Amino acid sequence: MSRINFHIILILGLMSTVAHSMRFDLQSGATKCISDDIKSSAMTVGKYAVVNPNEGSSVPDSHKLTVRVTSPHGSNYHYGDHVESGNFAFTAAETGDYSACFWVSDHKPSTTVTIDFDWKTGVAAKDWSNVAKKGQIELMELELKKLYDTVSSIHDEMFYLREREEEMQQLNRSTNSKMAVFSGLSLFVCLSVAGLQLWHLKMFFARKKLL
Amino acid sequence: MEKRKRFETAKIYVAYGFLLSLIDNGSVATALSITVTEFECVSEQVLHEGDTVSGNFVAIDHDIFWSSDHPGIDFTATAPGGSIVSSLKGTSGDKFKFKAQKSGIYKFCFRNPASTPETVSFYIHVGHIPNEHDLAKDEHMDPLNIKIAELREALEAITTEQKFLKARDARHRYTNVSTNKRVIYFTLAEYLVFAGASALQVLYIRNLFSKSVAYNRV
Repeated sequence: MSRINFHIILILGLMSTVAHSMRFDLQSGATKCISDDIKSSAMTVGKYAVVNPNEGSSVPDSHKLTVRVTSPHGSNYHYGDHVESGNFAFTAAETGDYSACFWVSDHKPSTTVTIDFDWKTGVAAKDWSNVAKKGQIELMELELKKLYDTVSSIHDEMFYLREREEEMQQLNRSTNSKMAVFSGLSLFVCLSVAGLQLWHLKMFFARKKLL
Repeated sequence: MEKRKRFETAKIYVAYGFLLSLIDNGSVATALSITVTEFECVSEQVLHEGDTVSGNFVAIDHDIFWSSDHPGIDFTATAPGGSIVSSLKGTSGDKFKFKAQKSGIYKFCFRNPASTPETVSFYIHVGHIPNEHDLAKDEHMDPLNIKIAELREALEAITTEQKFLKARDARHRYTNVSTNKRVIYFTLAEYLVFAGASALQVLYIRNLFSKSVAYNRV
């Protein structure tokens, strides 16, 4: 029985290390920022690494990058100085755009560094191997649990979209009413300015005894 | 006895290796924003040939208040061999979907023809469904796993669509806020210009009748 458990844990352990990440190029001296819109109290996990140009030997100094992960209001969540790889994980305190900025120090012959970056939020960020270990859960049940979590997150997202759409409707309605008010006001301003003009010129000419 | 035990263990690990590659649930989905000044590329790895790569992108116009509508973003998806798999020109946001003919690293590039930098919010998902061929290869695999994989892919399709809608909503929000601001500022500017023009008119007429200029000219 324990052998089977061990094998299940081994599978799950192997599964959790399968990482698919996106890559992008960075010129030396340039800064690239990638941002993600994260809701408050959502778990987020990120992993970055420099793709080694020469296999086998260590990453040269010119290819080391500086990373900074900031919240929408500017507070620092993670900082890595001249590292070749690293990771960060945090729970978002507020809803907004969190950005991860990468920077490679300037090098005389301008080099291009390829960075492997993986940023997961929400369902994908959850530590599934832990969940499986805790409950001694079978593989298929774990898959179904994942699906259930995905469905819940889809449901929550629909609520969020609905709220946003409602806000937008409010904004549009207010813009519409503002336009009506301002057009009416514009007509009033036009007529009153014309009236003032006429009255003032009449007074002026009367004073000048020309009328 | 010892050799047989080691062989058994090795067999198990090979079986798990197979199982692992078959249960692999496709790639992690990325829903990120990147600022495109001129040309930006993002690469994703596609592990199995026959995988469906789907995604979308939306250009979020930050500077819509002062500048006219952005001409759009050009998008190209390139296969590992160099051939272009998908290409969209001059859109402010669109979806794409294609079946990967070979595995490897696929490149997704955004080009910004205008001079102002643009923020592009994109989402790429690589979906893998184990097929009958994989099923035949390994008897540990349950036909139920295929159904589960199909279900997962359907849910991912919904999630992809949601991310697209969310990005479009964000873009819409910018447009609406800018319209609101425009209504207020331009109307107030219009009033000021109007009042100023009529004041200038009055001053000019007064000037025509002033004693310093020829009095009886009019």
